[in-house]
Amino acid sequence: MSGLTPMGEGPRFEAARIEDLAEVMGYVDAACEGAGVPAEAAFAVRLAVEEAFTNIVKHAYADSPGPVRLELSIDGTEVTVRLIDAAPLFDPAQAPPPDLDSDWDDRVEGGLGWHLVHQLMDEVRHEPAPGAGNIVTMIKRLPSAAS
Amino acid sequence: MLEIRVEPRGHVTVVVIQGSVDGLTADSLLGALQKEVAGGRTRLVADLSGVEYTSSAGLRALLATVKDARRHGGDLRLAAVTVNVRKVLDLSGFTSILKLYDEVDAAVGSFGAADRAAGEEAI
Repeated sequence: MSGLTPMGEGPRFEAARIEDLAEVMGYVDAACEGAGVPAEAAFAVRLAVEEAFTNIVKHAYADSPGPVRLELSIDGTEVTVRLIDAAPLFDPAQAPPPDLDSDWDDRVEGGLGWHLVHQLMDEVRHEPAPGAGNIVTMIKRLPSAAS
Repeated sequence: MLEIRVEPRGHVTVVVIQGSVDGLTADSLLGALQKEVAGGRTRLVADLSGVEYTSSAGLRALLATVKDARRHGGDLRLAAVTVNVRKVLDLSGFTSILKLYDEVDAAVGSFGAADRAAGEEAI
């Protein structure tokens, strides 16, 4: 089992504004590249981090910005991402269901972010952070090196 | 970073996009595409060969543009979509509403002479 990065150890990154997105993704890209994560998995992790980070900053924090801590843990079998915030409690499972079937003129864009995260990642969990805030954990399993 | 270049090709306008379409760059893409439609250039081809990444923010820009273009009698068609972007389009149900072409020339050619007819609704 790959444990989560213990507090205070391992790679982590803090951000608070949507403008920090470039740095956040640069951090994720560098970590994945440095650990030799295959391109397809690195793409999924990058997208998951962008969607989750954007949702937290734009929706969970809404009008009162606050910190988001990003923790990445990469081993030979999986990439584990944790985003920890101090925002009011939210639940990604409550995101509106995506509209995947309507004709173009009725197509509604909404809920696609979390939908993509669920499709591209192997596991997505949400839990309240101790005290206040949210912890979103997203896991991407890597193709077995032995196969 | 996103680079956007507009190349008129007869009665079709090719928008060459290079870089990463994400929450920070999607607005500039949307602005560039909407500017074309507003200028009456509604037959658009997006050359996506240089785009290796898009998030839902990029999908929003594409959806808004395709609606805008079709309501003005044109269309936005995608060309040379890379594998990861194609996967995002598939997972989002966008491949059922957008026309995709392997080559830019084929996408440009798909706008036949009939598309010149004013007010004709794209399929």
